[in-house]
Amino acid sequence: MSILELRGSAVKVAFTVNGRPVELEVDPRATLLDTLRDALGLTGTKKGCDHGQCGACTVHVDGRRVNSCLSFAAMHEGSTIDTIEGLGTPENLHPIQAAFLERDGFQCGYCTPGQIMSAVALLTEPCGQSDADVAECMSGNVCRCGAYQNIVAAIQSVRKARG
Amino acid sequence: MATKIVGESLARVEGPLKVTGAAAYTADHTLANVAYAVAVGSTIANGRIAALNISKAREMPGVIEIYHRGNVGALYKPSPEAGAIDEARPPFADDVIRYYGQYVALVVAETFEDATAAAALIEIAYADVAAPNVELELVGDDQPIESSRRGDPAAAYDASPVKIDRTYVTPAETHNPIELHASLAFYDGDAFTLYETTQAIANHRNVVSEILDVPRENVRIVMKFLGSGFGGKLWPWTHGTLAAAAARKLGRPVKLVVTRKQMFQTVGHRTRTQQRVRMSAQRDGTLTSLRHEAVNHASMLDDYDENCGEATPYFYGTPNLLVTSAQTRRNVGSPTAMRGPGAVPGLFATESAYDELAIELGIDPVQLRLHNEPDRDQSLDVPFSSRHYAECLTLGSEKFGWSQRSTAVGSMRKDGVTLGWGMSGCSWIAGRFAAEARVELHADGSARVAIGTQDIGTGTYTVLAQLVAETTGIAVDRIVVELGDTRLPPGPTSGGSLVTSSVIPAVLEATRAAMKSALGLATTVPKQPFEDWSPDDLSFESGKIVGRKGSRSEQIDFHQVLRNASVAMVSGIGKAARTVGEEHPKYSLHSYGAQFVEVAWQPEIARLRVNRVVTVIDAGRMINPRTARNQIEGAIVMGVGMALFEQTHYDPRSGAPINSNLADYIVATNADTPQMDVTFLDYPDTKVNELGARGVGEIGLAGVASAIASAVYHATGVRVRTLPIEIEKLL
Repeated sequence: MSILELRGSAVKVAFTVNGRPVELEVDPRATLLDTLRDALGLTGTKKGCDHGQCGACTVHVDGRRVNSCLSFAAMHEGSTIDTIEGLGTPENLHPIQAAFLERDGFQCGYCTPGQIMSAVALLTEPCGQSDADVAECMSGNVCRCGAYQNIVAAIQSVRKARG
Repeated sequence: MATKIVGESLARVEGPLKVTGAAAYTADHTLANVAYAVAVGSTIANGRIAALNISKAREMPGVIEIYHRGNVGALYKPSPEAGAIDEARPPFADDVIRYYGQYVALVVAETFEDATAAAALIEIAYADVAAPNVELELVGDDQPIESSRRGDPAAAYDASPVKIDRTYVTPAETHNPIELHASLAFYDGDAFTLYETTQAIANHRNVVSEILDVPRENVRIVMKFLGSGFGGKLWPWTHGTLAAAAARKLGRPVKLVVTRKQMFQTVGHRTRTQQRVRMSAQRDGTLTSLRHEAVNHASMLDDYDENCGEATPYFYGTPNLLVTSAQTRRNVGSPTAMRGPGAVPGLFATESAYDELAIELGIDPVQLRLHNEPDRDQSLDVPFSSRHYAECLTLGSEKFGWSQRSTAVGSMRKDGVTLGWGMSGCSWIAGRFAAEARVELHADGSARVAIGTQDIGTGTYTVLAQLVAETTGIAVDRIVVELGDTRLPPGPTSGGSLVTSSVIPAVLEATRAAMKSALGLATTVPKQPFEDWSPDDLSFESGKIVGRKGSRSEQIDFHQVLRNASVAMVSGIGKAARTVGEEHPKYSLHSYGAQFVEVAWQPEIARLRVNRVVTVIDAGRMINPRTARNQIEGAIVMGVGMALFEQTHYDPRSGAPINSNLADYIVATNADTPQMDVTFLDYPDTKVNELGARGVGEIGLAGVASAIASAVYHATGVRVRTLPIEIEKLL
């Protein structure tokens, strides 16, 4: 029995994370971000501001990119959630991950999971063709190292390869 | 050296971990039975705590303990010999509040949510509350410190036909790495293990062990991946002390993640500077005098000298010069180094002044700089180790198309917008910190390089792998790079753009020692090719041990020798001596560059945008041009933010940094990024190390703001001397 249950404040929630069904008892105050990190150990998703201002916590919920710090885990009953851990592995990278590596679309790497989750979502969004369009669509993800030119190049290389 | 890995644009060796979320940053680590801590800060900036009421918070579910001055236990100021720290007063040391957000309590609870909720219920009663001093006008509290003087600058100024006297201001900036500062502390009854967000593990151990009063060897610092720091994570801050103290008291691990808001209060910032620059010249542009007098703000307790005049004494030739600095105290947390400390705000002032002088003289600003190119460092009176600033200027001009510039304000238009062109020089220190490395060659064919430094995103993992691969011929993917742990041989601090230049001598020496050990071993293995050979007849080539004696020639994989000898590994140690802080340097060690900027100005809608930046950098040999270029580009992006957006506002009523979030403190986003063209000159500086590599982490920022300010003047006729260049200043 968890401490939360002892307190009588736990909320049951069931969702799917990276294709795996998960049932949890969560603190109703726990964000999706903290739940992914602390309860599920999926620490690839990062906390950069906890205010939806930096994009480091970007995950996909039902196929759309969202800031996971801006919703509570308890709100996600039945959601399909995808995180960086579900995208690819070091041995088997998603094309966007491979392109970030090849184009050096990062330095410290901290905002990178969020950048990559945004970039993967962008591939299926109505984003224009130009570099400026991509830069605009990626401006919710702050990279303080400033690897923006390479991030755009990485995304464009994947878009061009896909035609 | 057989191979050519040094100088190749290898992809980052740790990159696959970073793009998959597998790289573990400080707050990603966890330990069994970990408790979560949330620090509570004061809501005044000047006064005293009269009473702290923790009773409501104490009763909240999940709360384990609440620490404050009365129960945190003994914490000490580190001795000056321990190392660097900006806020030396231990947290909770007294009841006096000197800045907004100063920690007054620490809630430790079973979960982050429990700790956060309880922290909100702590009641602080204040006394002797006074208006905070966050005055923006800076006048030195004491006599200025003279850091460089030659000739008689006042007399030369008075006697010169052309002169300018200007004051420039750079605001307080907050580093804002996207990784929040964090600490995961564990005490086993005897020793601490501290997972820290730090750019300097060795300094962190040395300082924190004295704060906690435990033997240095009983503190282990671990930092495998840092979500960048930009100087803000150089030295220990109070939250780390609190996490360690709580972990010791509780006997269980404590994790503390500083909030974004708290990062504007308690973990340093770039100080505000006010800099008076007086320059005089002959009509032909010959610089006759230069005075650069800077004041920066400091916290109430700790001295802080930004050293704005760092680059001033050597950058240009002039017989008469004065550089001074002074500080003035404010009710703010301690400032700290931020990317290119001193030189970056300093060069904004002096390079802006140079542009203003060029206009006054009617001389092209590139030509004015070329005209005053010195042939030696006139402040130290020693030669430059390797200086190609003039080529940076001329090549940059060519790549940018500077000769097409029409000088009149607002005279260049394209596609209905006004263009402004501006340029600036940039410079940054070079040299070495002390470093020690161990390199092992293993019987499975791999190599391991161990050095207690950090990779803060600059590419250190990759550079270390390249150095060992180049020297041994072992493939990069068979080289394990181990850093970020104080159990390793002590490596350099990740600051000053000095890691690459510092590790090169240590790692090369260690690698060669390990290879030599393998050769010696080869001559001792019975019934093997080199039994009874002299090690002098053997060499280590492309991962093989090769012997040549007369007409005989034999070779064998190095790891086969180890296996045949039944040893797991051979190893070598290498050390590099520091140059930083040398009393009588033989050379002036610096990097140089030139930056050219085009801005687009649309007065009708008050829109200012940086279109493109051309940068030429003279920083010696690039070990990895791909990661080096990323450093320069990233610095330019930060420079766009410095020039146009970034400033921390302190509320004059409360003293609070009021724009303490990433929506109100604006940093450059992807859409703000200009088109960037970066060129590295290739002049290895072998005075710094045998490969001739200096460093590139900071120099790319050093000319951006002044080049943008000059371009803005060219477009608008408005000279902005107080950063950032907000739109309202142009209307």
